[in-house]
Amino acid sequence: MRVLIVEDDPHTAGFIAKGLREDGHAVDHADNGKDGLFLATTDPFDAIVLDRMLPGLDGMTVLQTLRGAGNRVPVLLLTALGEIDHRVEGLRAGADDYLVKPFAYAELSARLDSIARRGQAGGSEPTRLRVADLELDLLSREARRGDKRIELQPREFRLLEYLMRQAERVVTRTMLLEAVWDYHFDPQTNVIDVHISRLRQKIDQGFPRPLLHTVRGAGYRLGA
Amino acid sequence: MSRWRPWPRSTSARLALAVTVSFLLAFVLLGVGVHYAVSAMLTQDARELVRVDAAGLVELYRDDGRAALLSELRERIAGDEDPDAVYALTANDGRMIAGDYPRLPNHRRGARWIEFTERDGDGERRVVAQLQRLPDGSVLLTGTRTRSQDRFLALMLRTALIALAFAASLGALIGWLTSRWVSRRLRHLDDTAARVGRGELGLRATPDGSDDAFDRLARRFNAMLDRIEELLGGVRHATDHIAHDLRTPLTRLRNRLEELRARAQGDTGARLDAAIAETDQLLQSFGALLRLARIEAQPPVHDEPVLDLAALVADAVELYTPIAAERGIALRAAAAAQARVRGDADQLFQLLVNLLDNAVKYAPPATEVEVALRRERDEIVLEIGDRGPGIPAADRERVFDRFQRLEAHRGSPGTGLGMSLVRAIAHRHGGRIALLDQAPGLRVRVSLANAD
Repeated sequence: MRVLIVEDDPHTAGFIAKGLREDGHAVDHADNGKDGLFLATTDPFDAIVLDRMLPGLDGMTVLQTLRGAGNRVPVLLLTALGEIDHRVEGLRAGADDYLVKPFAYAELSARLDSIARRGQAGGSEPTRLRVADLELDLLSREARRGDKRIELQPREFRLLEYLMRQAERVVTRTMLLEAVWDYHFDPQTNVIDVHISRLRQKIDQGFPRPLLHTVRGAGYRLGA
Repeated sequence: MSRWRPWPRSTSARLALAVTVSFLLAFVLLGVGVHYAVSAMLTQDARELVRVDAAGLVELYRDDGRAALLSELRERIAGDEDPDAVYALTANDGRMIAGDYPRLPNHRRGARWIEFTERDGDGERRVVAQLQRLPDGSVLLTGTRTRSQDRFLALMLRTALIALAFAASLGALIGWLTSRWVSRRLRHLDDTAARVGRGELGLRATPDGSDDAFDRLARRFNAMLDRIEELLGGVRHATDHIAHDLRTPLTRLRNRLEELRARAQGDTGARLDAAIAETDQLLQSFGALLRLARIEAQPPVHDEPVLDLAALVADAVELYTPIAAERGIALRAAAAAQARVRGDADQLFQLLVNLLDNAVKYAPPATEVEVALRRERDEIVLEIGDRGPGIPAADRERVFDRFQRLEAHRGSPGTGLGMSLVRAIAHRHGGRIALLDQAPGLRVRVSLANAD
């Protein structure tokens, strides 16, 4: 996909661009808000990585101007301000996700994938999710794999639903915590891993092809 | 208002009381002095009157003899020219010859001046009298009833008492108003100081522009708070910067290691994994340090929403049940139906997670970790107990210090900031935290204010 990076720090911009290019994306870069806004409004992008603190026009203004003009391109806001209220402020201004500096590339890549996909989805909400032979019925709250019915706890259901909506994409532990548990906190130990491994037992055990994969150093991926 | 105490606690009230009391004391002393002086003067006057009167009678006796004196006396006693005058004459054998008394009032032998009290149906009257032994051995008593003087003294006393009562109430009222005014001016300052001490660093006293001593004090106080806030801000800024500036290169390092890892084979890969894990541990420490600094710098939770801690406990227990189960530990939760506290859900959840994590980490396999949440009067009490090694009493305060890992637990993973964070969160929520002996094991008790 085409990604625009609006970031004044050459080092950060370089390292994001390098990673994205290696992952096979086309990358454009602007090192100030004015150029970033110009590029974003003239060229179609699949996603924008936008730094909040920029010389001249700051990230929040760029974002509000874009959204004000009806541009719905998915935006991942980068910031050094990690406070919850800054986060909320950013999301209210129209950011699709929010990442606190410094971050691991894996985290950025996973979140960018997730919001870019959300951008494409649009349309009506599906009532059924399907990945390979795994099916989740959102209305009857039932999960099946092939012809086997899978019993899930409410939280496991939400976990699986999130993973299936992000099918084939890497999902980080932090993303899972925020989406499924809805608390912003630092997990002390491998709490998420334990929940994932319980889910894995339920959906993969007894099937020759595992669907829930661990992506080392990044997180998890649900897919064939 | 506070309960009535015999001795007020506030300085201004004490001052007002002391001033009132000393004023009354001075008034009473002065009154006693005046009363004494006036009554002495009046007695002196009465004696002078009696002396002149007696001298006239003695002169009469000398010039015209005893019979003339006697008739004069009888005439005076019978008449009422001067209703207050008192006369009596006794023969040399003590018999009463003239006068209203059956006998002379008791007196010391040879006394010249006597004072006695007359009693009859109308009440009592004081009499000041002079005794004179006449050459023929008889004794002449000349005296005067001090009725008008006594009335005057009584009136004076009554007036003084009324004045005293009036002055006392006025003094008390003025004292009370003054002390109220002083307390009000001071209470505002006192409240502000207390709240600032509890962490509301942005709070300031409001000067009223009167430029009196209190106003100047308030302005000085504010200037001091501004300075403190500035210094704290500097410290916070520095901490933030250090942690942040170190996290950036660390993240960069981690990204580089990740890149290498992607290309690494066999043994090198495993080593790189270990290096990455260590970098993550460091990043987590810095993250925790930054959050700790931020939480400690945040104002108390007055503006935060009220939330149900029971729901948070349920979520945290649910999050940790599988982790506990992996270690063969049963997580038992006994939570009140509702426990409403004011606060930040993310921070309280972090507190729960840190405490549960410790409990699960130190509990021996096949034991229980109990989580209890209950309401106690105006407090919500959260207790998490395990059956692990516990913490010796001497070490209990130390576990809250930054990077303080107890010797016994050096081997276990963790940043050494978990309990510091727990305490910072509890304090920010106006709560208390206590480590208790479960014998065996540790019971952590966090008490928060009930928001209902």
